[in-house]
Amino acid sequence: MTTTDPTPAGGLLVGGTRFEEVLGRLVGMSERDYYNPYRLFVWPDALDEDGWWMTPELMVEHGTAAGAELTEEQLRRLSKWESINFYSLNVHGIRELLTEIVARIHTDAFRVPSEYFHHIIGEENEHMWFFATFCHRYGGKVYPQRSFGFGTPAIPEADNFLVFARLLIFEELVDVFNQRMGDDERLHPTIRQVNKVHHQDESRHIAFGRQIVEILHADLRARLSVAQLGELETYLKRYLRQSVDVLVDPAVYRDAGLPDPYGLRRRVLADPAYPAYVRRVLRRSTSFLVNAGILGDDRIVP
Amino acid sequence: MTTQSPPGFHLVLDYLRAKRPDLPVIDPELDLIENRILDSLGFIDFLYLLEESTGTEITLDSVSAEDFRTLNRIKARFFGA
Repeated sequence: MTTTDPTPAGGLLVGGTRFEEVLGRLVGMSERDYYNPYRLFVWPDALDEDGWWMTPELMVEHGTAAGAELTEEQLRRLSKWESINFYSLNVHGIRELLTEIVARIHTDAFRVPSEYFHHIIGEENEHMWFFATFCHRYGGKVYPQRSFGFGTPAIPEADNFLVFARLLIFEELVDVFNQRMGDDERLHPTIRQVNKVHHQDESRHIAFGRQIVEILHADLRARLSVAQLGELETYLKRYLRQSVDVLVDPAVYRDAGLPDPYGLRRRVLADPAYPAYVRRVLRRSTSFLVNAGILGDDRIVP
Repeated sequence: MTTQSPPGFHLVLDYLRAKRPDLPVIDPELDLIENRILDSLGFIDFLYLLEESTGTEITLDSVSAEDFRTLNRIKARFFGA
């Protein structure tokens, strides 16, 4: 977490800009669409253990040889634990998001977006609550976090940019799943509702994230060397890939009763179908990042 | 003095050497994080390798980045050597 970042974000985020117009619109939408999540959801005592918990085409094993060896019964059981892992990753991603936003709210550099930060903090806290509630209620746990935050590019001017770029990538990826699963009739209504509600809120956060990431990167293009910009691109591409790879988790395979969980993870990651899966679920992110000139192309390699 | 590596530790060595083939040997006290042999984005693969090598699930609530900083610390913390 960085609070003394030399990026002059305050100078970038002021003055009757389109950014301020977007912020005003997003604040208005957050106020208009405010809801009480603690009363909104219907939490049955149990969900059907034999049903689909996740859209099968979004499961990481979809299209792989390892996935094809599983029976439908095994895939359905796997979909339960894969979905608990997905929501657990949401919980941990939101924890990072809240930490970073709280570190910036009402500082000079982030005076302009601070009003909207209040809405993000409030909404994300509620998202974390309903994701964690789902995990505990139906999985008996939140899967632990598996990543450490060390080894980011040593370019202090880029700290703010990297924080918001990581948060945006996380939100865009999650939203691909939420949007699809919110409308998938094969899933239990409670599962659909959790995904649908999150998708509705995240569309605002993504709109904000795209704005701030573009502004911060435009500033870096004027200030960093080609080599430094290249280092940021390499890092972001690795981050994109890593964001999908964490969906393939040996603990999930163990909980689903599948043998050799570490070997299964290796097989899925090495499967010729896996890169196409990665491209598919990241397409929205990579399209934005390429169009904004942040990535030179959309190739994501391991 | 020769020291016997604990069972499974060679997998850790092989993984780290593959990350930095330019280094003929990895000094047991070399800072793996500072020298970018381990970083946050490759960390999860390393974590799973470590789990498989030791047969123990590792929760990050019970360890810190310092436990991964050198080969000697990894050996002491996860292989009891």
